[in-house]
Amino acid sequence: MTLRSFTATLLGLLLLITFSGPAFAADSDDGDPDALGHSADGNYWDWRPIGKLELPRLFLTRSADGALGFDAFLTTKSALNSGDYTVRDNTGERVTEARFAEIMEAGDHLYYPATPRDGKIVVDLSITRQLLFVFIVALLVYLIISNLASRYAKGIGRDVAPKGVWHNMMETLIVFVRDEIARPAIGEAKYAKYLPYLLTVFIFIMLGNLLGLVPWIGVTATSHIMVTGTLAVFTFVITQFAGTKDYWAHILNPPGVPGFVKPILIPIEIIGLFTKPLSLAFRLFGNMASGHLVIVSLIGIAFILKAAFGAVVGSVSLIIVSIPLTVFIYVLKLAVSLIQAYIFTMLSAVFIGIAAEEHHHHDHDGHHDELHAPTEQLAAAA
Amino acid sequence: MEPSGFAYLAAGLGLLGATLGAGLGIGRLTASAVEAIARQPEAANDIRGAAILLAAFIEGVAIIAEVFALLFILLK
Repeated sequence: MTLRSFTATLLGLLLLITFSGPAFAADSDDGDPDALGHSADGNYWDWRPIGKLELPRLFLTRSADGALGFDAFLTTKSALNSGDYTVRDNTGERVTEARFAEIMEAGDHLYYPATPRDGKIVVDLSITRQLLFVFIVALLVYLIISNLASRYAKGIGRDVAPKGVWHNMMETLIVFVRDEIARPAIGEAKYAKYLPYLLTVFIFIMLGNLLGLVPWIGVTATSHIMVTGTLAVFTFVITQFAGTKDYWAHILNPPGVPGFVKPILIPIEIIGLFTKPLSLAFRLFGNMASGHLVIVSLIGIAFILKAAFGAVVGSVSLIIVSIPLTVFIYVLKLAVSLIQAYIFTMLSAVFIGIAAEEHHHHDHDGHHDELHAPTEQLAAAA
Repeated sequence: MEPSGFAYLAAGLGLLGATLGAGLGIGRLTASAVEAIARQPEAANDIRGAAILLAAFIEGVAIIAEVFALLFILLK
């Protein structure tokens, strides 16, 4: 694995996520505890006992007379105080000046979408908290990988045994990705070419998932559909470039199939190309987002019971229902973080493996007694 | 019923079907995998790998259903 390919992958990741990330930026409309609002993206980083760290706002705007403009502010507050921006309410209309002053007074400006006083926002490029965590995770991945790569380049871990806790720990992960994921799924001949991507994506997702579990300040970068979608687009593009002649022949002209079935089969195969990365993106997003929703809902049980039956029932249910279940789900999420990183990497490797596979003898009767028999079976199951 | 009420109903019923199906599927998969490991403990690693991967496929269907249910509610 070369340092350069890691850097290139990371830079690409950053660029794509930067321009796709904040499009879905949504926030709860008020400060009430809200399951969706809690796990959604936002323009601040919550350090709840201390305060909220407001994040930069970058807007590409089109003014009323059609001119494009670009505005950058360090915080949402400064954007609103500049006089060029106001906020929209639930109905999407700009609020009145009196209401605007009221919102600024109460400090609730973070819960309303900002909008220019005249014209509209073309693209909201603001650094949201999930995007911030994508940057943090990407930086960590870069530091980890460049550190390890320089060690391997010196021969530590290749010629002599790895030294120290850190290197031994990471060596376990790297050997796991190489021997349990890349080798069996892609095959001995080609796995080395795709190992850098698989390692990057594995460590990226693992760190992104785990950082989301940090109490109070953690934000799960991977619970944003754009982040997981970007990762899936990478797998998709790499899979298509890995495709051999046989792979495309199987899609565009399936061998051993009667002619009248082909008009049905070929569209299905082409749709199948796109459903694979879609399911990758939705699986990771759904798993990470649902964990947060479940935790907020479990804690919500206590508040619902309090509202229905009074404070005593609420407190007791908090102790005997909410907290034990939350701890259970939290531990489960710890496991799911690692399992989802494994599954994403494994499926990426399997898809790449299917595309990169060379068929040496053309007996397409479903009987491949080659190295990649398990891959074929899994592909059939997919 | 209000029209938007049907969206909530659809989301709930959709989740019911998806979780039922995925639960049954994962249950069958796990049962078979555990049986296979009991019969052939030396193949435990291969079986576990395949089972996790296939569980991910089954789970994927449930998650896609979940996302659609969420869309029904958010876009009602």
